[in-house]
Amino acid sequence: MKLLEYEAKQLFAEEGIRVPTGILVSKHEEILLHMDELAGKVVVKAQVDVGGRGKAGGVLMADHDTVIEKARQLFNTTIKGVPVTRVLIEERLDIRHEYYVSIAIDRAKKQPVILFAETGGMDIEETAQKEKNAVRSVSFCPLLPDVPNFLLRELCGDSPAEIQKTVNRLYHVFCHKDALLAEINPLVTTPDGVYAADAKLIIDDNSLARQGIAINRDLSEREREAEKHGFSFVELAGTIGVIGNGAGLTMSTLDLIEFYGGRAADFLDVGGGADTERVMHAVRLVASVPSVRVIVVNLLGGITRCDEVARGIIAAGVAIPVIVRIAGTNAEEGRKLLSEKGYEMLDTMDHVVKKAVEVAG
Amino acid sequence: MIYGDKKTGVIVTGATGRQGEYHIGLMNEYARQVGGRGVVAGVTPKKGGLSVHGVPVYNTVKEALREHDATTGVVFVPGIAAADSIMEAADAGLELVVAITEHVPVHDTMKAISYAQMQGCCVIGPNCPGLLSPGEVKMGIMPAGLFLRGNVGVISRSGTLTYEVVDELTRAGIGQSTVVGIGGDPVIGQTFADVLEQFAQDPETKAVVLIGEVGGNLEAEGARHTDVPLVAYIAGVSAPTDKRMGHAGAIVEGGESDARSKIARLKKMGIPVASRPSEIPGLIRDLFRNHC
Repeated sequence: MKLLEYEAKQLFAEEGIRVPTGILVSKHEEILLHMDELAGKVVVKAQVDVGGRGKAGGVLMADHDTVIEKARQLFNTTIKGVPVTRVLIEERLDIRHEYYVSIAIDRAKKQPVILFAETGGMDIEETAQKEKNAVRSVSFCPLLPDVPNFLLRELCGDSPAEIQKTVNRLYHVFCHKDALLAEINPLVTTPDGVYAADAKLIIDDNSLARQGIAINRDLSEREREAEKHGFSFVELAGTIGVIGNGAGLTMSTLDLIEFYGGRAADFLDVGGGADTERVMHAVRLVASVPSVRVIVVNLLGGITRCDEVARGIIAAGVAIPVIVRIAGTNAEEGRKLLSEKGYEMLDTMDHVVKKAVEVAG
Repeated sequence: MIYGDKKTGVIVTGATGRQGEYHIGLMNEYARQVGGRGVVAGVTPKKGGLSVHGVPVYNTVKEALREHDATTGVVFVPGIAAADSIMEAADAGLELVVAITEHVPVHDTMKAISYAQMQGCCVIGPNCPGLLSPGEVKMGIMPAGLFLRGNVGVISRSGTLTYEVVDELTRAGIGQSTVVGIGGDPVIGQTFADVLEQFAQDPETKAVVLIGEVGGNLEAEGARHTDVPLVAYIAGVSAPTDKRMGHAGAIVEGGESDARSKIARLKKMGIPVASRPSEIPGLIRDLFRNHC
């Protein structure tokens, strides 16, 4: 789950990373309560989860006299289509130099990887493309509690010692918060020391519970409803509803729909060992997506019993046509139950998808 | 076959849980059919002394190893405890740990794999269906009825999609040497490259099917360094960017982690890539025709 800048900065500060003094508001009128704290120059920043926020107009410069007007501007706009519901007003830093630091997971090495550049800021991606050596990277054993000093030296070169310390503190955030990504861009030097001028943090969805996060905000309401039933669910833009078991098989079913010229409305993986009730909820959930004209059920029973699946489809009793392919454990019995109720059944993945594309038109 | 055979003794961690108990039954049913040793002991903390389907349960892996000869662990404990079980198995001296568990925090996985590596223990998974060598051994949850012994290896990041492909192969009369589910998480123990290295040394395996999906770029990395004849299939050509498609690791995050880029890279190496699972048996036949 992605955190917003102000949330990430709070967590960074807890690990000893310096962040600018800031005020979070959800209405521009709230700023009036803080006017005496806003004596000097400030930065007004939309709290939206959007890449390239600065270039998209989500960060405005202001001072004591213009701050309310600038905040109002942000609340009345959208940044790359995302409405602004919260604005962070921060003291403007006297920036001498901008660095870039990012910690992620290297899948191939199975280790944390730290990226560092001596020229950070909004153009980091272009810089990285233009100059091959502009971004340095190191990875190391995940059992170490700190980034070893020799790697910090290798990574940060001649940068001030405080920069190296900040990189190590960011690694602490990365570990303690179960992050998939922890990033500061730009990490800046000022006459008062080093500050994280921006902050990015993505928490591993498998660790939300132990991080005390009850609700995954990245999911839509329907996706959250699906999660409660133990489904993986993604809403898409097409007309063919998809229910499968297992992420790979379900993904493959979506691809096959595209192969035969159709468009899938969703990805729903009922998970292993789905019983009558779960299948019923799955069928009803997919049927509730307004664009769905036909539902494909593609289940390969291993742990999942096909007779249970059939009972679930029947119990859902939706008006939209449901075309079924079930194979594996108790498939015969499942097919018998469904054919008695007049459901269309086909024997392979190819056949069932082809048929659904025809029905969807 | 790779990673084990009839003689392999297996210890199941999480033996008294719902999943563990159910699959000990199925693994040992398979072992009886093929005349293998199967699961020789189970482990659940504080449940030592119980037995599951006639398999004795111990409090720790070390205790189990004092009474039984085993080299491989299969882990069924919940996500939050999986890393600990992997490290325990490695520390006790098992050579291979197959972690079936889903929803393991990725930081835990990184640490557990690192630790196991230091103990000389090899990890398959997590979030995987395990492996099956037809007629020899089943370590995990694959439905044994679909398999046929033969010369084709299968490596996959998925569960049911693997069964789909195995079913296609079997119905086409193409048997399998070993089918390995390496797992759908962003960080996994054995990757395509590691399993291909094992297959390269296996005289039984003449070709390998790689089943990949969106996220990361380990399929092409694995294919690059092997001489084993390959056929590939990549799921997720229709997957949107930045959306997790069921598996924690199945997410297009820029770079070359989307399905089309992966397919293009594999094709550039001369590897035939199926556009749907039902094309795989035909591509394998073509491969055998060209290589024999």
